[in-house]
Amino acid sequence: MSLGRTFMKGILHENPTFIQVLGMCPTLAVTTSAVNGVGMGLATTAVLLGSNVVISLLRKFIPSKIRIPAFIVVIATFVTVVGLLMKAFVPALDKALGLFIPLIVVNCIILARAEAFASKNSIVQSSVDGIGMGLGFTLSLALLGAVRELLGAGSIFGVNLLGASFQPALIMILPPGAFLALGLLLALYNWASSKKANQY
Amino acid sequence: MREIIKLGLILLIITTVAAAVLGYTNAVTKAPIENQIMQANVLARQSVLPDAVEFDALPADVFEGYDNVLEVYKGMKNGSPVGYTIKANSSGYGGPIEVMIGIGLDGIVHGVSVGNHTETPGLGAKAADESFKGQYSGKTVNTELVVIKSGVPKDNEVQSIAGATISSRAVTNSVNLAIRLFNEKLK
Repeated sequence: MSLGRTFMKGILHENPTFIQVLGMCPTLAVTTSAVNGVGMGLATTAVLLGSNVVISLLRKFIPSKIRIPAFIVVIATFVTVVGLLMKAFVPALDKALGLFIPLIVVNCIILARAEAFASKNSIVQSSVDGIGMGLGFTLSLALLGAVRELLGAGSIFGVNLLGASFQPALIMILPPGAFLALGLLLALYNWASSKKANQY
Repeated sequence: MREIIKLGLILLIITTVAAAVLGYTNAVTKAPIENQIMQANVLARQSVLPDAVEFDALPADVFEGYDNVLEVYKGMKNGSPVGYTIKANSSGYGGPIEVMIGIGLDGIVHGVSVGNHTETPGLGAKAADESFKGQYSGKTVNTELVVIKSGVPKDNEVQSIAGATISSRAVTNSVNLAIRLFNEKLK
């Protein structure tokens, strides 16, 4: 598969949130605002890139019978190292993303890409796959966060758009709003992509 | 049997390397992280008691019996005390909320800062926003503070964060605890 296609499939045809429906736990939990969505997405992208590269490097060394525990050890180590380094040297970034870093360990997108892609492909392909999937995840979280923030707080990225007269629907920031917004966006995305597919 | 041993050994190698990497990272980052936390604490103390230049920790027996008080510092300027910063914990909606309160010797709350907490983003987490915590600045230690949900707050009242009464009350409880400690022990 060409690098461009590998990159784009994470963003469109195999979008982690809207098509694969993976990693729903962080998706629902942190998207109370667009900024949170972008933060979680970028942190995941960094870890995904790192773990994909390491696992692709080790793919001949790890026997398939113990690949799952081996992958989890690699991912957890990676996340912990990134978390510690951020705490020590970029405290401002850590303050903004600190909440999300431990959550990344349990994000099944990382394990899914290690299992489905990085363990079978070269390092270059795997890193492009990691970036593509990561950005696809970032975009969907930002979109979900923006919808919830707009309806629930009347702003996007902290900028007030709807004015003071708008009465925010608080439920959109609360957990039920996450399910509502995700369900509607999922339906919309699949409706749009099926309509496009039927044209040909 | 041989295969099991082989698989076990490979897993052992992977986990050993992982442990070595983690141990090394921890050793490298330990000192800088402690340093960052210390600096953040100094900044937090300065932000709630801007008049003070230096801070001296008070011994723990000063606030013995005040269960949720974590630490008390005396703020000094040119060798004379100007007030106290009191760090206290109270349970919010998602777990403990760390609140730092600065009270001047004049009996006025100079500032409140909200530290580590796990409140809901977009709701209880707004307790750390200036629009909420700023309400405490200028309150006197003569009366206990009360959280109100609607209306215009009077002198001893603070406006609750919309949809996050528990978080608002938790912060207010800490401020009231600090006020009590100040009145009974530090004044």
